[in-house]
Amino acid sequence: MSISFGEIQTGHSLPPVAQSYTQPAIDHYALASLDMNPVHTNEEWAARAKVFGIPETVGHGMMTMSTLASVVTRAWGVVGKDGGSIRFVDAKFTKPVKVGETVTATGKVKRKHHYGPGKNWVQVAIEARDSTGDVIGLAEVGYNLPD
Amino acid sequence: MPVPSRLDRFVETEKQRHFSRDFMIGWEAYETWDEATVGQSGLAQRTFVITEEDILDYNRACGETDPLMIDPAFARQHSPTGELLQHPIFVTTIAFYSLGEKGIGTWIRTPGARNPQQRIEISEPFRYGEIISTTITTADKFTQRGKPYLQMLLDFRNERSVLKARWWCSLILPATRADVSRFANA
Repeated sequence: MSISFGEIQTGHSLPPVAQSYTQPAIDHYALASLDMNPVHTNEEWAARAKVFGIPETVGHGMMTMSTLASVVTRAWGVVGKDGGSIRFVDAKFTKPVKVGETVTATGKVKRKHHYGPGKNWVQVAIEARDSTGDVIGLAEVGYNLPD
Repeated sequence: MPVPSRLDRFVETEKQRHFSRDFMIGWEAYETWDEATVGQSGLAQRTFVITEEDILDYNRACGETDPLMIDPAFARQHSPTGELLQHPIFVTTIAFYSLGEKGIGTWIRTPGARNPQQRIEISEPFRYGEIISTTITTADKFTQRGKPYLQMLLDFRNERSVLKARWWCSLILPATRADVSRFANA
């Protein structure tokens, strides 16, 4: 999608991203990221270790961060057609994502940063919730937009 | 502790085939919270050669459907770089592969670790064939509400020393090797 810094308004909403955190999806993420911590993949160990106080495997924080960032990249592109690009992703994780959850992430343009032609960027605030409505992660994403 | 065999069906890349997937092997050599020294810096054990299959598998695992991210033939024709575009959190794969099992920053593999927050900055896209070196600097170490936090800054540079991305990686860790052992032996 083509969008410019001049057109975008503070408060602009981005389409939500829904991601299923099944055990196979978490397993795939473990291999793809090479984060093979057993808290994500080994149910028997997770039941004994109770890392998060629960006897279950949970999704990776970095998988949640990816879902959060995808709100912006799916809307505007990892590299936009007219020169947009990601500057940063800053994420906090507030609740472990249990196996079987569907996480839904939504984002809004929080601030426009005016630095002049070719240097302008926007800050997008994103939050992700699980199926109970609890916030499981928050992020701020910086994105360079074409003038 | 064996890794569940069901994960074998997700092995797609050359790096995954050779990566030490059992994080419980060699945990005794991982850096721990109480041993880490703020300001200490070093190079990661391994370099990471960027390949199409690494990017493709990460994008797929994130559930991406954009052909610029998951269709190499389409990307060759239509992407701004002529290559698959990588998800911005792809640096996770570079870090876990590069840091290895001994020395600075290996606390990223700690059993019992919890992930509170992360910050990743992207300077420019990774390109196929780039050889990425990761410099690790222990950035901060503190206790908050009784929880031991450790943070490192990872700088990812290509073979021409161009900075591609930075990751401020933070974890809440078991504080001592004895604390880690309780998770490793659970």
